[in-house]
Amino acid sequence: MIYIIDHNDSFTQNVVHQFSLFDKVECDNYSNINLTKLRKASTIVFSPGPGNPKNYPLTSKIYKQFKGKKKIIGICLGFQQILFCEGAKIIGQKKIYHGYQSTVAVINKRSLFGKGKKFKVGRYHSLKLKEPFKIKNFEITMRCLESKVAMSFENNKDKIYGFQFHPESFLTVNGNLLIKKILST
Amino acid sequence: MSSQNQLTNIHNSGKSYIIYKSTKGFDLFTNFSKKIILTNKNINNFLTKKNKKKKYKNTDLFIGFFGYELLNNLIEIKVPKQKNINFPKGIFYKPEKKINLTNNFRYETVNKLKFNDNFKLNINKKSYTKIFKKFKKKIKSGETYQIKICTKYKTHSKIDPLDFFSRLSKTNLAPEAFMIKDKNFSIISCSPENLITKKGTSITTKPIAGTVKKTRNMNKTKALRYFRKNIKETKEHNMIVDMERNDLSRVCDINTVKLSREKVVEEYKDLFHYVSLIKGKLKKNIKNIDIIKSMMPGGSVIGCPKINTLNLLNNQEKDNRNIYTGSFGYIKFNGDMRFNIIIRSILNFKHASEISVASGVVVDSNPNHEFNENYIKAKALIDLFR
Repeated sequence: MIYIIDHNDSFTQNVVHQFSLFDKVECDNYSNINLTKLRKASTIVFSPGPGNPKNYPLTSKIYKQFKGKKKIIGICLGFQQILFCEGAKIIGQKKIYHGYQSTVAVINKRSLFGKGKKFKVGRYHSLKLKEPFKIKNFEITMRCLESKVAMSFENNKDKIYGFQFHPESFLTVNGNLLIKKILST
Repeated sequence: MSSQNQLTNIHNSGKSYIIYKSTKGFDLFTNFSKKIILTNKNINNFLTKKNKKKKYKNTDLFIGFFGYELLNNLIEIKVPKQKNINFPKGIFYKPEKKINLTNNFRYETVNKLKFNDNFKLNINKKSYTKIFKKFKKKIKSGETYQIKICTKYKTHSKIDPLDFFSRLSKTNLAPEAFMIKDKNFSIISCSPENLITKKGTSITTKPIAGTVKKTRNMNKTKALRYFRKNIKETKEHNMIVDMERNDLSRVCDINTVKLSREKVVEEYKDLFHYVSLIKGKLKKNIKNIDIIKSMMPGGSVIGCPKINTLNLLNNQEKDNRNIYTGSFGYIKFNGDMRFNIIIRSILNFKHASEISVASGVVVDSNPNHEFNENYIKAKALIDLFR
């Protein structure tokens, strides 16, 4: 079972529908997290949401508790939340991407998605990862072709994955394939 | 008696009635046997009450509206104390008579009224710019991605609602237009936007984001090119599409929510709209109240993400929105529904008229442009008073 934590977003139900294509999904709001479901889940997903990782301390706690024990996936804010827990800084950016379609490229040969592959993806983020960023076992695997901003990371040792873009958006071409891949690894 | 004569008779008799745009013309509903004034206390009961019958008549429905505050409260969002004219939060009627009208129904008002077109705006340009800048900061920090500031034009004037509605329909035949005439208030609207069409287990929503005026140089092909090139309009539209997919997904089966028309241009008398159509198949055991809570208030007139943005708006706005960005429509006794988003409307209550408009703050919009845009949106309605 996949357990999705909803950070009060207007896109979380799209995430639920996308993950439901591959497994049973349970989803609860951040204010209403269910510990039994959380323990039962094989995968935990941190949803997108407004604000920044500091606003969701409970999610940070859950991340630290289950890191290495369950597969953890973060989308948009969830991506930032995981990196924030690993000590990264999440900062503002000059150009803001809300409802924007960008091309991202796989830039790392250790990525599950194959170096050099390109994807069209939908973006909704005000903030970004501050770089340089170096944390053991975490690799930045995709970047925006235009702005070079980090768009995904993979930690294949602990099975932790994050997308700064929205695989569930209608703006993302073949988003289902991306999710299928990280769920089947 | 012709439907035209019936309309004139009903109007002159002083009876309450409602007109709602249909595919072929307009439907007129009257002879109300019930009038339910909605409150936070009775709305749950109203929405969950079953009216099942063996055979349905074409008047077996409740028609009316939900105001903005009521819809907020329904999803447990508080609206702080605001300036309030004490207009009902929502009203539904049970009609006993339905008449079909053509698109070209006529109405000549008998006693020509003089209208007061001296409208006052509740937020001047300076305060608008201030609010605008405040919200822009919130976008930069990620608290909202898009937010719609509402401004309100008000005047004191008696009006003849049918005169207004017939003139409005001649210049702007909007697919979700409606009019309510009751004893102490009336509403006239040329809303173009359908929020919910539910038939059996199928449901659709048709968000609009993007409007351009029709001119000699602007035809349908050019309008499409204009929208596609305009990154700001495109991004706003994309955001609304993903948000409406989300709201439908809450009540629909997995893998059934589909974008069946993506970013197409629809042509109206004076303007072009940038429109998408999203469809889904409802989950088993989903009730109408679940659908209403998931879809309302309609996202395209609020901003995104919905909950956070509603809270930001409610803490900012000093005047109650009343009907504005609420929903008008009907619930049939067989469970089918049709609801619009109440925009482009005049609320006339105790001889005071108000017209609310809103435009979006996104990261690259500018306060001057949006402030003027608000006036353009209100102008077609203000012109009715001239």
